[in-house]
Order: sequence, then C-alpha cells, then structure tokens
Amino acid sequence: MESDTLDREIARKSAARYLTITGGVALLFYAVTGWIGTYPWVARIGGVVWISLLTLIVSMPVVISRLKKQAKGIK
Amino acid sequence: MNELANRRPISFPVQGMTCASCVSHVEHALNELPSVTDVVVNQGTNKASLNYDPVQVNIATFQKAVMDAGYAISQQEINLKITGMTCASCVDHVESALKEIPGVTKASVNLGLEKARVQYIPEVVTVSQMKRAVRDVGYEAAEQDAAVDNLDRERKIREDEIHRQGRNLIIAGTIGILVMMGTFYDMLGPFQVIVPKFLSYKWVLGVLTTPIVLGPGRQFFVNSWRGLKHGVTDMNLLYATGIGASYGIAVINTLFPNAGFGGEGATFFESAALLTAFIVLGRWLEALTRGRTSESIRKLMKLQPKIATVIRNGQEISIPADEVEAGEWIHVRPGESIPVDGMVQDGYSAVDESMLTGESLPVEKKSGDQVIGGTINKTGSFKFIATKVGKDTALAQIIKLVEDAQASKAPIQKLADWVAGHFILGVHLLAVLVFLFWFFAGYNLFFDAGSRFILSPFALGDIGVFGFSLLLSVTVLVISCPCAVGLATPSAMMAGTGKAAEYGVLFKGAEAIENASKLQTIVFDKTGTLTKGEPSVTDIVTAPINIDPDKKQQMTILRFTAIAEQNSEHLLGESIVRSAQAYSLDLSTPEWFNSIPGHGIDAKIEGVSVLVGNRKLMNERSVDFQAWLPRAEQLEGEGKTVMFVGLDGYAAGLIAVADTLKETSVDAIRRLRQMKLETVMITGDNRRTAEAIAHQVGIDRVLAEVLPQDKAEEVKKLQAQGKRVAMVGDGVNDAPALAQAEVGIAIGSGTDVAKETGDVILIKSDLNDVIVALEIARATMNKVKQNLFWAFIYNTLGIPLAAGLLYPALRLVVSPEVASAFMAISSVSVTLNTLLLKGFKPTTLRKPGQSKPDNTSGSQLTLTTTAGD
Repeated sequence: MESDTLDREIARKSAARYLTITGGVALLFYAVTGWIGTYPWVARIGGVVWISLLTLIVSMPVVISRLKKQAKGIK
Repeated sequence: MNELANRRPISFPVQGMTCASCVSHVEHALNELPSVTDVVVNQGTNKASLNYDPVQVNIATFQKAVMDAGYAISQQEINLKITGMTCASCVDHVESALKEIPGVTKASVNLGLEKARVQYIPEVVTVSQMKRAVRDVGYEAAEQDAAVDNLDRERKIREDEIHRQGRNLIIAGTIGILVMMGTFYDMLGPFQVIVPKFLSYKWVLGVLTTPIVLGPGRQFFVNSWRGLKHGVTDMNLLYATGIGASYGIAVINTLFPNAGFGGEGATFFESAALLTAFIVLGRWLEALTRGRTSESIRKLMKLQPKIATVIRNGQEISIPADEVEAGEWIHVRPGESIPVDGMVQDGYSAVDESMLTGESLPVEKKSGDQVIGGTINKTGSFKFIATKVGKDTALAQIIKLVEDAQASKAPIQKLADWVAGHFILGVHLLAVLVFLFWFFAGYNLFFDAGSRFILSPFALGDIGVFGFSLLLSVTVLVISCPCAVGLATPSAMMAGTGKAAEYGVLFKGAEAIENASKLQTIVFDKTGTLTKGEPSVTDIVTAPINIDPDKKQQMTILRFTAIAEQNSEHLLGESIVRSAQAYSLDLSTPEWFNSIPGHGIDAKIEGVSVLVGNRKLMNERSVDFQAWLPRAEQLEGEGKTVMFVGLDGYAAGLIAVADTLKETSVDAIRRLRQMKLETVMITGDNRRTAEAIAHQVGIDRVLAEVLPQDKAEEVKKLQAQGKRVAMVGDGVNDAPALAQAEVGIAIGSGTDVAKETGDVILIKSDLNDVIVALEIARATMNKVKQNLFWAFIYNTLGIPLAAGLLYPALRLVVSPEVASAFMAISSVSVTLNTLLLKGFKPTTLRKPGQSKPDNTSGSQLTLTTTAGD
C-alpha cells in the first residue's frame, strides 16, 4: 500500500517535471521560429508538435528514473 | 552471514521483451528491489534470474516490479482433478496448500467439479510439486490437461508468437506490395496494364495503409505506450514514432493538401506501410530464431520419459515417470526408455546412452551397474532400483545446467545490452538535432526540389521545410534501431551451449564460453586426466639364457609374480594380477607367502621359490641383478616403476608398471598445440618421471613435484605471467585449481554433473572433448562477434546517410522504408548467421578414422625378450 502511494507520488512529481521541460522546449522552439525566420505557421506548429513529442520521449524516462532513484535510494 | 544463508536463486519467464533495451529495463526494475542481487535478464530465453531474500521480497513483488516496467511474468494455468474432498473446509485446505507453494499465483478449488484451477509460474513451480502439496494435506491430485506439459507449453508460446508475427507479416506484406505498386504506378511502364489505375489515388493508398498501421503496426504503439507510462523507452517507441509520423503526415497531406506539409507530393503512405512490413518481418525472424536456438533444450526435454513400470506389491503398474519414488523397483523392457536413474538388480541388457554422453556404442548393463533416466534400453529386459528421481536425475541436472547456461549473460552481451539500452534515448536526441539542423539551417542552404530518394526513382518535389526536416528526423529514428543487437549474443550462446551438450560438453554459463574462447594455456592434471589413473604392466623383460625364447617366458614370470601378489593390497601388485587375468593365466594359490613391507614379497609357488621386490631386497637376498641394471634404469627413465623377479635365487626378469596414458591423450595434446595453445602438465611425481610422461604425450611444459594443495597456486603463477589459463582435472581433487583458473574443465564426471566444480563439465573421460569444448567456444564467440557486426554495421553506415550528411553533395535522401529494409536485413543477417552454427562439427569428429592417436606408447604391454646385458 505504502509502495503504491510512493509510486503515485513519483509519477505525479515526475509528470510535473517532464511536462514542464517539454512545454519549455516547445515554447522556446515556437519563439525562435518567430524570431529568426519567416516560417509558415503550419511549419511552426508542426515543428512544435514534433519537438514536443521527441522531448517528452527523451525526458520522461530520464526524469522518472532519477526520481525513483532518489525516492528509493540508489543500490 | 544469516542473510547469505537465507538467499535463494530464482528464475522466471518474462513476457513482452522485444529488444536489448527491454532487458535493461527489466534488470533495472528488479535491481531496485530490496535484497535482490545478481539479476540477469536474457532476451534470447525470455528469462530473468536473480538471487533474493524470501523474507524481504517474494514472487508477487517481482511480478509487480516487472509489470511496472511494462512487461509481465509469464504464467500458465492448469486444471487439477482433486479427489477426496468432502466439504468446504477441504476446499480451503487444498487452496491453502496450493497457494503456499512459491510460484503459485492463484488457486481456486471447486468442490462440485472436484477441480482446482491453478495459475502458476512454470519456471518456479512444477505440476508435480502441486500434486505433492495436495497429497500432503490428504487428497489426491491428477492433471486434467495431461497432454499439456512444460515442453508443450513452451513450444506453444513460441509457436503462437511465430504465428502471430507470421499473420502480421502476411497482412502487412501483401497490402504493402499493393501500396508500393500504387505509389510507383507512374514508373511501372508496360506493367501498368496489370495494375489498376485507382491504386495510385492518394485516398486509396490511405485506405490500404490504415489497416496495416492499425493491425500489424498496433503492437508497437501499444507496447511503447505501456513502457512510456512507466518511464521506459524501448525499440517499439522508435517504430511507433517512425510509423506514426509517416502515416500522420501522409493523412494530413491527403486530406488537407494545402495545409503546408508538402501537399500531395509528400504523402508517405508507402513509408508507413513498408516500414511496418519490414519491422514485422524482423519480428517474425526473431521469433523463428528463438525457437530454433532452443531446439537443444527441447531435444533434451523430449528424452524425459513419461511412463514408468513400477513393481508395487508384486504387481507391475504403469505410472507417470515423475511420480516414481526413490527405492522403488522398476521393470524395463527392450526398446523402452529408462524412466529414472538407478542401479540394475536383475537382468542383462545393452543401453543406448548416446543422447546424454555422446558415446555411440550401446553400454552393457548387468546387476550392480548404474542406469541413467532418459536413455534407451536396446536388447534385454532388466529390473532396477530407482536411486535418483525428479530433479535429481542426471537428465534433469543436465537440462538445468544447459538452461542456466543459456539464461546467463556473457560479458560481451552485458556491454551490448548497455549500449542498446542507452541507444534509444541517444537516437531520439539525435532525431531532435537532425530536425533542428534541417529546420533552421540545412533546408535553406541545401534543399533542391529535384533531389531524390536513394534506391527510388521518386523526387522529393516541393516538400516544405517542416516536411523535409521531419522526413530526415523520422528516417534517423528508423535506421538507428538496433533491434538485432538484442538477439546477436543470446541466440549464438544458446546455439553454442546446445551444440556442446549434444557432444557431452556442458558449459555452466555464457561467461565460460567467452573465457574458453580466449585461452592461451591449458594445464592438465596428470593422474586420471592424461593418464588412466590406474597403473598397469607395461614391460616384462626376461633373461636371454632362457630355454624358451617366446612369449611363454614372459607369461611364466607374469604368472608367478601375479600368484605371489594375489594377496597384496598394493596398487602395483593389483596391476600385475589384473594383467595376468587379462592374459587368462591360471593363478593358483601360493604354498606359502610372506610380505616384506616396503620391499616386496617372498613366496613358494609350485615348488619354486619366488622373490618379487626392489633392488634392495635382491641385494639383501644376494640375487645378482648387476647385468640387468642398465635396462632397469632405462625403464625408470621412462617414468615406470620396475619390480625385480627372482626364481630359486636367480635373477629371472623385470616387470615394469606405469600409469598408462589414455588412448586419446597424445592426439588431444597434438590438436591443442595445433590450436596454438600452450600445454602444461601438473603432477606430484618426481621430475624425471613427469618429464618422461610429458615427453610421451607431447606436453610443452612440466610442473613437477607439486603437492595437491599447491596446484591452485601454480595456476595463479601462470596467470600472473599474463596468461589466460584453463585447468583440466577430475573435478574432485583439483577443485581449488579448477576454481582458480579462468576456465575449470572437469573431466569424466559421468552424469553427476551438479556436484562438479568447474565451468565446463565433460561427461566422458575423453580428452578430445577438451578440444570439442574449445572449438565450440571459439565458434560461438566468432558467431557472437559476427552477429554484433551485422547488428551494428547497418546503423553505423545508415545513420549519417539518414541524417542527410551526403545530401549537400549528392542531393539524395534515405526514405523511411529503405531505412526499415536495412533494419530487417540486419535481423536476417543475424538470424541466418546464428543458424549456421547448427551445422558445426568439432574437428575430432569430422574424420573419425584420422582422429585416433598415432602413438599410444605407454598404453600397451611391451614384451621384451632381451636381457639387460
């Protein structure tokens, strides 16, 4: 039971972190495309979606695994 | 100390692992559990092994950890027919008894149906254990699904996977070809007449591709989401992002051609369809390979007899072989399999043991001889008493050993798994970088609307910056997938250990194979390893003045000496008696007999005074052997012990006794030297005798006068010189040296393999099996290296191409479907390469006529009629 609560807590904390990272990277991408070039809006939105997806895929396992290690103690 | 004593090993099957990164995830999940150590997960066998403290964790904990990582521990269900239950409390008793067995995850008993439905983990608990548990609480249990045994279940799981992926392949392959024909319609030329025009319509391509993505491709989305939810990434994610991106963009460009994603010119339906088809082809080939490489275990399991004819209360009854108890009498008729291990009590027969020992000729069995379960009785009929049953039988031990070896992980595989595990994240990062580069810089600098796909007549057309950058990013994801890496090492290891078992060579782990392939020096214990371990008569030298010059004289000397030695308990005396018996000499009883401790024997035989002993005895009794001494010294120089024989006070002859070389020793050492290995003999003998034997056998180096307890130290000294050393010994006396060496090879263990020290166990006493072990180890490691090459070469070459490195110069890009074809070729290469190992045959068996030693000096009796003068 205690373990389930801990797992939920880790899932909640890590979701907050990787979603923040993903959102940050997406915003940065969107801002940069508006700042340095004349990209069509479809390309900017498409780029945001693709970069967000890849960032989410990269950040999720890294963040979850790091938080799990912190919570359970590294063996 | 207590903690260590409580630790238990366990292994269980894990479902859902498809790649090397899955292995890392499962290992990681299990390693995080308290008290869990030595976690090894093998993708080839789909098994996890570990050590744990049952007080701190249990099988349910493992299940949860594996599930949390996105995988599952395979379970089976069985229905047991329970008899003897009368009330609800009986139900409770049976259920409790079943649930208490580690490995049983669920048990539900129905009183009305007299049935127990049990869910269990097949590697952890057997049906026999369940039946025994039920019997222990006072009821009877029998399998309702009698036909379904471990072997069938294991085969069924593999066959199901092969069928599933085969069905997916047919769907994706067939529709994929239609999509390809439609896509390339304009380039078909004269073949356009056989392809309907409507196939080239974008919406038709979309309709055809959708069932491929949602059918055969669905598994990748489901599996990757399951993993992602728990924070793990695997190769499914690469496939899912690749297929999903290609399909998504194609749908958008078909439905909304003006949305700015490249329009109708950039509908990559064929990419999504063929990508799925090629990935599924890879999966199907992997499933096929896994089934094939575990064939050796299946062959061994098939040997397990199902039925035994036991004699209870004077009646012969047939019962399942796994229910035979130790001590029961069993009757075996011609042609039947021997159900368990035991000792023959009555009858005579010849038994084919080739399936376990590799010995091709049937072995005669009479009262007092051991029989091995799983071997086949050929001619006669006999009765024996069961000595070992269930998990203790030789066959069960061998199967366990081979299974453990196949489930273990070689150091090279650990490295490959680590690389593959971290590869996925690296590839996604690379895909981000590729996208950003082409989006912000590359497209504006280099894009040319006339550029083409590699191996395709298609031009890119007016694809936009996003479409172009996405295309290259997706292609990088697809081409980077190291899916064959997960299979490269375990498939070769499974094939190698299985092949070795066929020849009676058992590797205790994948590490033993890897170490055995790198050896430089082979150290042999002398007694019992190079030699037979029992002295025998090698030379009989008689006086020339004898009237009869033929063999009779030697036989007379041998006979008189043997009669005198009949009551001796000395090893040398026993060897002389054995030799006389071998010549069928008539050994009468001496008229009197007197043993002279440390010197010899004095006896009166048929009126003749016989004196047998050493020089000192002859000098004391004034028997003149002066003229014989040069010959005696020559024999001693050959490593033989010389006994002087005097008859009626005169010098009559010399008998030389030596521990003879095994028939195969000379040939085996010659072959090892041909393999560029240094050979060393280690013995407690004096240097002159040791060197004489080493010379006969062709050994490079002798370590003489080494006490048994110092052998390990000598091995350590060789290792300190930077040599990778194998020690070949009998596994009991040499245990410390076997443990010290990089590879300990226990020779001639028979079938009691579980007790042996050593990393490699040779069931027979044949030294040529050392060559078999080393050759198989080398062949296996060669396959591993070749497989890793094939697994990585396509990625290594393909990633720069896919990332667009050559695009500025050549204006060529790799399409996702070509990338997936590369990936499938990688799996095909690994699969075919591994299967080649199945045809491997050791050199010692390739030309049987030539494998016999050309010099068996020391192993034959030499009859010399020349005197010492």
